[in-house]
Amino acid sequence: MNILITDDEAPARTRLRSLVEELGHTVVGEAVHGEQALQLCETLQPDTILLDIRMPGMDGIETARHLMVLENPPAIIFVTAFDQHALQAFETSAVDYLLKPIRKERLEASLEKAGRLNRVQLAQVSDEQQQVRSHICTRSRNRICLVPVNKIIYFMADQKYISVVSDDGEVLIEESLKSLEEEFNERFIRVHRNALVAKDYILSMEKSPAGGHFLVLRNSDKKLEVSRRHVPGVRKIIKNLG
Amino acid sequence: MEQDNQDSILDENIFLPDFCGIRMVFTVVVVSELLAIAILLTTSIEQSLSWDRLGVLSLFIQWIALCSIGILCVSRKWLIRLNDTLAGYLSYVIVLLVTVIVSELAYWSMFYIGLIDSLQSHVDFILRNLGISAILSAITLRFIYLQYQQKMHMQAHANARIQALQARIRPHFLFNSMNTIAALIRSQPENAESAVEDLSDLFRASLNKGNQLVKVADEIETAKRYIHIEQLRLGERLAVNWELEEIPDSALLPVLTLQPLLENAIYHGIEKLPQGGEIKVKGERQGDWLNIIIINPCISPDEVGQSQGNKMAVRNIDERLRITFGPPAGLKMQRETERCEVDVIFPYQEQQ
Repeated sequence: MNILITDDEAPARTRLRSLVEELGHTVVGEAVHGEQALQLCETLQPDTILLDIRMPGMDGIETARHLMVLENPPAIIFVTAFDQHALQAFETSAVDYLLKPIRKERLEASLEKAGRLNRVQLAQVSDEQQQVRSHICTRSRNRICLVPVNKIIYFMADQKYISVVSDDGEVLIEESLKSLEEEFNERFIRVHRNALVAKDYILSMEKSPAGGHFLVLRNSDKKLEVSRRHVPGVRKIIKNLG
Repeated sequence: MEQDNQDSILDENIFLPDFCGIRMVFTVVVVSELLAIAILLTTSIEQSLSWDRLGVLSLFIQWIALCSIGILCVSRKWLIRLNDTLAGYLSYVIVLLVTVIVSELAYWSMFYIGLIDSLQSHVDFILRNLGISAILSAITLRFIYLQYQQKMHMQAHANARIQALQARIRPHFLFNSMNTIAALIRSQPENAESAVEDLSDLFRASLNKGNQLVKVADEIETAKRYIHIEQLRLGERLAVNWELEEIPDSALLPVLTLQPLLENAIYHGIEKLPQGGEIKVKGERQGDWLNIIIINPCISPDEVGQSQGNKMAVRNIDERLRITFGPPAGLKMQRETERCEVDVIFPYQEQQ
């Protein structure tokens, strides 16, 4: 079996590697954080990924969610030293996990039965932890593409897709604007039936001769329309900025 | 289920016991009967003991006692919302009112039956009963209150102990260290050995009594042992810069003041940064006051809220410093976007 190890701590990776190799499996790679794990999964196509939960930047649970966009995602086994909330979530959603320091027999059993997680299980885990993603992940031209949420200027719904416009350009994702609004309500505000805008990127609101309202945004030339019922909310935010 | 839970929590924290319970009713019946016998014995030096008198006396006292706990049982849900003193006095007034009403009823029924032929002793009868009831119910309420206080005291004590322990040994640190040691045993046995030694010293320090004072030099030594363990785990991501020359070695600090703060700096700062960073531990002296400043890089507060455990650890240390030395000793926290600072302020005090 081909296995990818993901942990930010070198001794933890060393130990996992020796345990995996003793069990007769192959370690195809080691990643030190979530972003790297995603890239390596795409290029190395491991059968199973051992995924540490607590990592800097993108943590294990978010990484697992993003792995779902791969055409052929690996089986996931979470690894953690101590994380009460995550463990509870795993128990309720029947997700497999290992506790550090890992026992060889437990690892063997987990590797044998490791199956693919489904979206329902993962959604349950992240819901129970009330987790907000740090990145939006999608595939474009068969490559995995990660957009940091704090660089996103706005989400714009367009029939079937949502276009995500960030400092780095534009990508399309298949999610609902409503669920994005719920997840990122700290950072984004709804300005129109079809648009969510990052509060940080709002510079000012202008009035058009026809009577409509438009937003002027940082790092974007596009002027977004603000529907009448969202004007008071936007005004409040602009006031708080100044 | 939720509701049940809340009710049971309420039950734990109020001093009036549940008067509706079968055990409570049984106790009250037995005690009332004993009281009836006691009264019979004291009053019957001139009169002969008779079952009739005991019967009437028991009936009377049982009426008062059972009516009282009946009313207390029903009114408990309102009484528990008041503070303890008010609830206590109100229960007292309820018992006295019941005594007056039952005495009144008893007197008039005895009058109509013909057991009493004049109304002269009316006021006397009521006042006597009121007196007995006032004394006995005061004693009973006081007893219940003391029992409750003792229970609360024990609970608070236990909670404080648990909190103190939780603030010191974070399971996360323990399991991660064990994992590191498990990894090092094969590849770097010497490092594994020293990690076990450091870990033991650290736990020995944490077994010291709450507010015991130790020399700053020892406290710094403990902190360095902790950093040594974390260094094995985090490698190049963790750097610590010690600048503590200004702090006299003989100054005293409560045991385990610095280590939990360094643990915070790593848990909420260094560990969250992919490239890691440097923790600066700097000592400053101004006359009789010493200041140890811990500065670490951290991610901006809007990205991740501080955990409850962290706040508790910091609050505990702050409290211990204030209790030991009195203000202005304590902790001062400062948080900028990507830099966290905590100042440990304490007086220069040597062992006597």
